[in-house]
Amino acid sequence: MQVAVPMTQTTGAKQTTQANRSPEDEEARELSGSQILCEALMREGVELLYGYPGGAIMPFYDALTSYPALRHVLVRHEQAASHAADGYARASGKVGVCVATSGPGATNLVTGLATAFMDSTPIVAITGQVAWSLIGRDGFQETDILGITQPITKHNFLVERVEDLADIVHEAFRLAQGGRPGPVLIDVPKDIQFAKTLYRPRASVNSFEHYRSTRKPEIAAETISSAVELIAQAQRPLILAGHGVVLSQAYEELQAFAEKSGVPVVTTLLGLSAIPETHPLVIGMPGMHGPAHVNNAISSSDLLIAVGMRFDDRVTGKVAEFAPHAQIIHIDIDPSEMHKVKRAAVPIVADAKDALAALTGAIAQSDHAAWLQEIRGWESAANERGKVLHNEVLPDPTAILDAIRKETKGEAIIVSDVGQHQMWTARFYTWTRPNSHITSGGLGTMGFALPAAMGIKMGMPQETVWVVAGDGGIQMNIQELATLKQQGVAVKVAIMNNGYLGMVRQWQEFFHNHNYSETPMTGPDYVKLADAYGLKGMRITRREDVEKAVHEAMETEGTVIIDFVIEATSNVYPMVPAGAAISNMIQKENEKYFKIRDG
Amino acid sequence: MTSETPGTQVAVATNAAEARTQPPERAGQSSVPVEAARAYTLLILIDEKPGAVDRVVGLLRRRRANMQSLTISHSEQAEVTRITAVTTDSDVAVGQLVEQLRKVIDVREVSNLSSGQIVERALALIQVNSDQQHASEIIGLARQHGAYIADIAATSITLEATGSTAQVETLVNLLQPFGIRAVARTGSVALPRGTEESEA
Repeated sequence: MQVAVPMTQTTGAKQTTQANRSPEDEEARELSGSQILCEALMREGVELLYGYPGGAIMPFYDALTSYPALRHVLVRHEQAASHAADGYARASGKVGVCVATSGPGATNLVTGLATAFMDSTPIVAITGQVAWSLIGRDGFQETDILGITQPITKHNFLVERVEDLADIVHEAFRLAQGGRPGPVLIDVPKDIQFAKTLYRPRASVNSFEHYRSTRKPEIAAETISSAVELIAQAQRPLILAGHGVVLSQAYEELQAFAEKSGVPVVTTLLGLSAIPETHPLVIGMPGMHGPAHVNNAISSSDLLIAVGMRFDDRVTGKVAEFAPHAQIIHIDIDPSEMHKVKRAAVPIVADAKDALAALTGAIAQSDHAAWLQEIRGWESAANERGKVLHNEVLPDPTAILDAIRKETKGEAIIVSDVGQHQMWTARFYTWTRPNSHITSGGLGTMGFALPAAMGIKMGMPQETVWVVAGDGGIQMNIQELATLKQQGVAVKVAIMNNGYLGMVRQWQEFFHNHNYSETPMTGPDYVKLADAYGLKGMRITRREDVEKAVHEAMETEGTVIIDFVIEATSNVYPMVPAGAAISNMIQKENEKYFKIRDG
Repeated sequence: MTSETPGTQVAVATNAAEARTQPPERAGQSSVPVEAARAYTLLILIDEKPGAVDRVVGLLRRRRANMQSLTISHSEQAEVTRITAVTTDSDVAVGQLVEQLRKVIDVREVSNLSSGQIVERALALIQVNSDQQHASEIIGLARQHGAYIADIAATSITLEATGSTAQVETLVNLLQPFGIRAVARTGSVALPRGTEESEA
């Protein structure tokens, strides 16, 4: 059993020795498929796995106890394993690994794989499969996980021969990390896990060298010169920085480019924290819940320099009316993103880091002070921060976020779930530290935050990790409190509890004639719940107690849950109705909004 | 020509022909007008592995390709399968599709060719009503269009026609008045036209 292994032991001496062994030193040994799987994972530098055993993956779990350097975390639901691996990958930049058995174990991973696929994060999922002789015959706990995950993985493998297993593992890691990252699944039939073969460790395997998505693209020089020309001519340029900047860790390059060009920076939901928000050039988040001045800026811009972002419909609103006066320079590592939504005048297929460095080297020092001032003028005209709450007594989402920021000096990693609190967090927290904002952006997966935070904290044990969640989402993977307790992992959880599925309720208020169909919800007593898991819980109902509670949570060892009871019916403003142009914002309470079909 | 044609079969065929000439609902990309759609032939070479065809077909479905035909067969190389896909869409949308296909791990090569750049052939087996009175007329028509007689029975003739999709279409239309019992058609297969350059 691996109960509560202290975090500091994860990089034990044994692993270092393993990693340093050269393949030539290694004698070929006869090993089982399960042992080979462990050997290959070690060789990839894996230190953490999140998983759940079951029939078809039992040989692997049997071998695992002989590899103590591979720290396995027993989650309480496989979905949490995939989110934890995802969180680990997002925070550490390394590949996250999750393990499940066949059938229901594998299908429970699906939501996490889809989340990682949409947000381009590298994870490798290992699933047990029924024995070859049973495949295709509806064996017990058989499911076609290859077929199921084909649309939500970069690639998936069914291991046919034990001789191929090690190479497949190494290939999976190359694929998950290469080019635009993403999830890869390896399905291992039970008899392959038992089967023995001569194992010869190989230093590196990449049989997909012909596959360009594992390589960094070469930047076409003419695209840089065309971009430089457009940048020089632009009067009202904007940089749109997305998740690609974070994935390529191009924080410095982005800032250097912005400073040299003098171009104001817009950060998408997953681009938040790619550049400090206190930087004078950073103007905020665009799109459905972006502040008016940012959407206005996009609407009046004549050049968008889009970096590692994909013009998601939550950013663009009605595409035909998005940035109607702007030409687009689109930097993305994935060529299939070019022209997908908006026609790019200059498509630059490149890693964000390389492209930004190349552009910074090629442009002239410039400044757009008048343009920036114009944007700032719109900002002061519409400061939405005060519009969140009307109740004077209850904790205010902005007060909660301010308290967390103050208490952690802006150094914490904030993991938000999905819904109103996610938008409040995105908007009202001041992001100053690179990659400190982690959320499920593309798929919008409720229940993501708690298990993802566990993965983040375990990948970066020295960091403070706060979860901000709604009372809906927190109940979706609440069982992971047991895992956090068992592993001795401390994350701090702030629940913004309004007794509603708040974002859906808001849409019902705006677009469905106040018909609150199935959105009021009750939750457990979170203090008792925390207690039942052996953790500390607090319930805060007064604004003046917010800071004290956050402070107490930080002072308390282990995972702490704070149930902040917030106003039931506050909304996220402004809001662009789905499918409407981003110039069409609902700015405040009782403002006339037009009826629009749900998009 | 005779006017003795079973109504139902003609009606079905006419509807099918109409369906083929209907413009697509969309041009694949929101900012591209429907009128911009035209036919493209994609030549896709994939590894001959279990599930590889499925990955390509699944992608075409997911990305909402307007598929007109899909032909899957061996290629000149061992372990490489050739897929010929004809899709109707805008230039931008087909460009997207090509880039998406190139991301599929089992895909080795994708080329997107317009009709001028390719030699394209399809095959059809056409079973048409026949009697002593009309047999020679049908056979004559077949000869004119380079079709072979695959089978002759007392009340039907089965023709084997190869040619461009348009040529096959023409023959099918000419045979309609006799009463077509069944048509089995392959999708197009295509190769780029030869060039003066020698192969490396």
